Amino acid sequence: MGRQPKSEADKVHDRIAVLRADRGVSRKELADAVGVHPQTIGYVERGEYSPSLALALRIARFFGLPVEAVFSLDPLPSLSQELLRRTS
Amino acid sequence: MSISPEQTYLARTFDDGRYAWARSRQVRHLAVVAQAVLLAALVACTVLAAMTDDGWSTWFLVVWTAGMVAFIPLHSVLNLGIRGVFDRSDRSLDEHQRRQHEQSLGATVWPSLALHLAAWCAAVAVVALTGHVTPALCLGFLLWFAGWILPSWNLAWTAPDEPADADFC
Repeated sequence: MGRQPKSEADKVHDRIAVLRADRGVSRKELADAVGVHPQTIGYVERGEYSPSLALALRIARFFGLPVEAVFSLDPLPSLSQELLRRTS
Repeated sequence: MSISPEQTYLARTFDDGRYAWARSRQVRHLAVVAQAVLLAALVACTVLAAMTDDGWSTWFLVVWTAGMVAFIPLHSVLNLGIRGVFDRSDRSLDEHQRRQHEQSLGATVWPSLALHLAAWCAAVAVVALTGHVTPALCLGFLLWFAGWILPSWNLAWTAPDEPADADFC
């Protein structure tokens, strides 16, 4: 089971909102696919809930990405920054 | 096998979008305060009734009945505000809701136990001091009820506002 982060350092960062926008997936569609309620996806996106390993893996599998591309212990750079870094 | 929480009839009611107004932090706090005030008022009335010669009088019966009836809508609002996490089937809870359930139970375990003990002690004390059994049972019930409802109050008070449903298409 996941948990509420106790401090900023304890937070799990994620790219779920960006990936949802990119794929045109609503919270409800993602929630149904990974077996949670839509508000739980919202709490994960807002960093107010750190998902369990099983949920993190299911979310990563839904987007067809490795889990470290979706979740990180460090703040994730924006996708545009990453693109810029790779093309420059 | 499905990994999704089971959508029981009760769970569907608690998740119904028509009751989103009850899930705001302000409404949840109001519901907790209203229930606590009502419970405290009923405890005070019960103690007053126990100190009278009759013990069980008409005014106490009216106050007690009105208080119990008033609890129904108040508890409904509170339950809708926390999506019935303590009342619905475990199978209908997802991992975040189970976490909320466990956290609030854990946070209130000692105060709840203290209230349950106080319920027993208060009922015995009322009978010993006044000889009135009915107000003693009422007081015991109220304190036991306060201990039982404490985790719901804790969750309703501490839960953050839910994420906006703007992109629930």
